Amino acid sequence: MNSIEIKNLSLNFGDVKVLKDLNLTIEKGEFLVLLGASGCGKSTLLNCIAGLLDVTDGQIFINEQNVTWLEPAQRGIGMVFQSYALYPQMTVEGNLSFSLKNAKLAKDEINRRVKNASEILQIEDLLKRKPAALSGGQRQRVAIGRALVRDVDVFLFDEPLSNLDAKLRTELRVEIKRLHQKLNNTMIYVTHDQIEAMTLANRIAIMRDGLVLQLDDPKNIYNFPINKYVAEFIGSPGMNFLQGKINNKDNVSFQIDDTLFELDGYNFQTIVEDKRPVWLGVRPENIVVNDGNKSMPVNFDVVVEVIEPMGADTLVWSHFNGHEFRFTVDGNKVINIGEKINLGFDPLHISIFDFESEDRL
Amino acid sequence: MLTKVHPERLFIGSIMLAFALLIMATVGIKPQLLQSLQFLILFVSLLLVIWIGIKAGKFDIITNRLRNRAVGWLIAATFSTALWSFAHKSTQLVFPALKEFRKIWNTFEPFALFATVVFILFALILFIVGSRDSKLERPGFIERSLVHNLSSKIAALPMVLTAVGVFVIATLWTVYHSFTNSRMLPKSEFIGLAQYERLWNSDRWYMSIENLAIYGACSLIFSLVIGFMLAALLDQKTRFENTFRTIFLYPFALSFIVTGLVWQWILNPDYGVQKIVRSLGFDSFVFNPLYNMDIVIYGILAAGLWQGTGFIMCLMLAGLRGIDQEIWKAARIDGIPMWKTYIQIVIPMMRPVFITTLVIIAAGIIKVYDLVVAQTSGGPGISSEVPAKYVYDYMFGAQNLAQGFAASTMMLVSVLIVLIPFTYLEFGRRKNA
Ligand SMILES: Nc1ncnc2c1ncn2[C@@H]1O[C@H](COP(=O)(O)OP(=O)(O)OP(=O)(O)O)[C@@H](O)[C@H]1O
Ligand SMILES: [Mg+2]
Repeated sequence: MNSIEIKNLSLNFGDVKVLKDLNLTIEKGEFLVLLGASGCGKSTLLNCIAGLLDVTDGQIFINEQNVTWLEPAQRGIGMVFQSYALYPQMTVEGNLSFSLKNAKLAKDEINRRVKNASEILQIEDLLKRKPAALSGGQRQRVAIGRALVRDVDVFLFDEPLSNLDAKLRTELRVEIKRLHQKLNNTMIYVTHDQIEAMTLANRIAIMRDGLVLQLDDPKNIYNFPINKYVAEFIGSPGMNFLQGKINNKDNVSFQIDDTLFELDGYNFQTIVEDKRPVWLGVRPENIVVNDGNKSMPVNFDVVVEVIEPMGADTLVWSHFNGHEFRFTVDGNKVINIGEKINLGFDPLHISIFDFESEDRL
Repeated sequence: MLTKVHPERLFIGSIMLAFALLIMATVGIKPQLLQSLQFLILFVSLLLVIWIGIKAGKFDIITNRLRNRAVGWLIAATFSTALWSFAHKSTQLVFPALKEFRKIWNTFEPFALFATVVFILFALILFIVGSRDSKLERPGFIERSLVHNLSSKIAALPMVLTAVGVFVIATLWTVYHSFTNSRMLPKSEFIGLAQYERLWNSDRWYMSIENLAIYGACSLIFSLVIGFMLAALLDQKTRFENTFRTIFLYPFALSFIVTGLVWQWILNPDYGVQKIVRSLGFDSFVFNPLYNMDIVIYGILAAGLWQGTGFIMCLMLAGLRGIDQEIWKAARIDGIPMWKTYIQIVIPMMRPVFITTLVIIAAGIIKVYDLVVAQTSGGPGISSEVPAKYVYDYMFGAQNLAQGFAASTMMLVSVLIVLIPFTYLEFGRRKNA
């Protein structure tokens, strides 16, 4: 059963078209992450689903019901904001129970729900405090609790962890994941942070300029980016790109200047003609340093220029045929600047994009 | 505790006391007495310096981290000595150019002399205390009060002096003279509470207070309510918001006299609303509030509201804009109706804005004067008198300074009666929170 279905959604602010004919289907119990550069319309999409913005065109269904023109409170959603948006003059308990009181629920029921939510989020000790007396992480828990008590089917998160420091972010991230496993309701989560996206999501939607470019599970997005933008956006350090053309003479290979990389094993989506200009993308972590036994199908030499040790592994910067080229090696390996190194990769793990359209080939 | 006297604190305290006395003497309260008292206290602080010096025992001037500061105070003392000497004949003979500014030098003279003494004392105390305290890890009391954030203290000094001079000294002076029989000029002949007796036996004063109460209550409630409503309306992403805001704010740019005159015309039966309605054919229509003793104060109130509400609206609008948009979104998702969001969430969040606004409105109420003068001159009869007008009329019209002072003292007392519990509550709340 579909939990949320968005059909041909458009939204304009005056002349600015923010969302353009967007379609999206989210299954029940799914954790969908919206990922994209700043200003691509993630918050706008979320606000449309929540009913905080009136859509220009299109329809939104939640649990098979057309909610396009319903008030936010009637849509069965809860939302958590980046700035927490707690009511500052009410205690934590007041914040949690305010909407329930307003909906005229019975006292026992309110108490039961507040107790339940505060147990799940481990904020029982904070119930009598005001938001000003809480840390950022605690505030965000309360904000999640405010959505939790309302017993909704869909949770919307708009960059909920962006205001927290790195350590807390990791902790709360795990907690949100646990919450999702426990409640098993639909969650839509907006973030800038790739790690958050990769770790939390069942599926990731990569957005750009009001459109969903790719909607897939994290693994596929990482391994088979649908175009060069997605490939650049996902992964840190970013993918290396080499510009060249296809050489289709005997077997398909990639030609950059005079060098030929055999592409045996790469799954082309289409038949690619000879001399077609393309980008070859390969992730730094898919590069292997050959020490003696040449095992990789494709091999080439580079000169080490800069070394960035990052603990578990070391990032090495170099150039290949005029293109910047990064690769990671094991953190314990000794590497010297100026050293010539032989690298290799498996065509199975690369991506080829058309030069013009930048789509995956 | 008495067993642990802090000579440093006594020192700073006595310097401050001496300074206060200097200002009072300069303003003209018991000049001879206060001046001699002030130098007595400076002498006491000198003794304190010596005492501190003796207690400090061993000096270690070389390692004194405050040495530069102390030298700085000495240099400052040199400058003020120079300033002081400018007022003297002998210096003026050497530098004839100084003569042209003789009046200025004469004004500065007492302050310069005082500053010289104080700066030298400061330098001394820094040498002594500093050489003792420089062995401490944490700066001592003197270091904190004389050295820490010195530039900001100096920058604040003119404002502090003005505040002390205008608010404290002038107020004391006024209260003091309200017990005298000063008429055209201030005199120091005490006659006890006679001025107050006269004040409270005056019908005009009672009328003034009653009017102020009506005007105050109505203007407080209406300008808050109307101002907030207008701001809330403008906050709904209204089109032409800037235009509306400007229109509402325009009256604030007019002086009260102009507003008063405009409203006098509007409310005047021969030119204003009554005339217009009558010319439409309603011949028996009557609307002349300014000529009706019972409702004249509401005519003034209308003008006051017209003038002030726009400004209140702007303050409120700024407050509303300061509220995080996500709070609104959260409330909508929680299903809280708009009016409830305003009352239960937004208005409590705007508490500081409301307090500021309240103070501004209250100040406007207390000092309402020009509106009345322009619209009715207190008439018909005495039916639109207000306290500020009473004070002004007695001080400058009837040439009875002491009566005016008594009335203004009563106004001050009533303001304090309102203000003190209020600030106490605010302050206490802060502490508890
Ligand atoms: N009220 C508005 N009026 C006009 N344009 C708007 C308005 N709100 C947003 N926009 C525009 O819509 C686009 C998308 O905004 P949105 O807030 O959805 O971005 P976002 O993806 O959430 O970005 P971020 O990651 O920085 O939060 C932006 O280009 C923004 O300038
Ligand atoms: Mg956003």
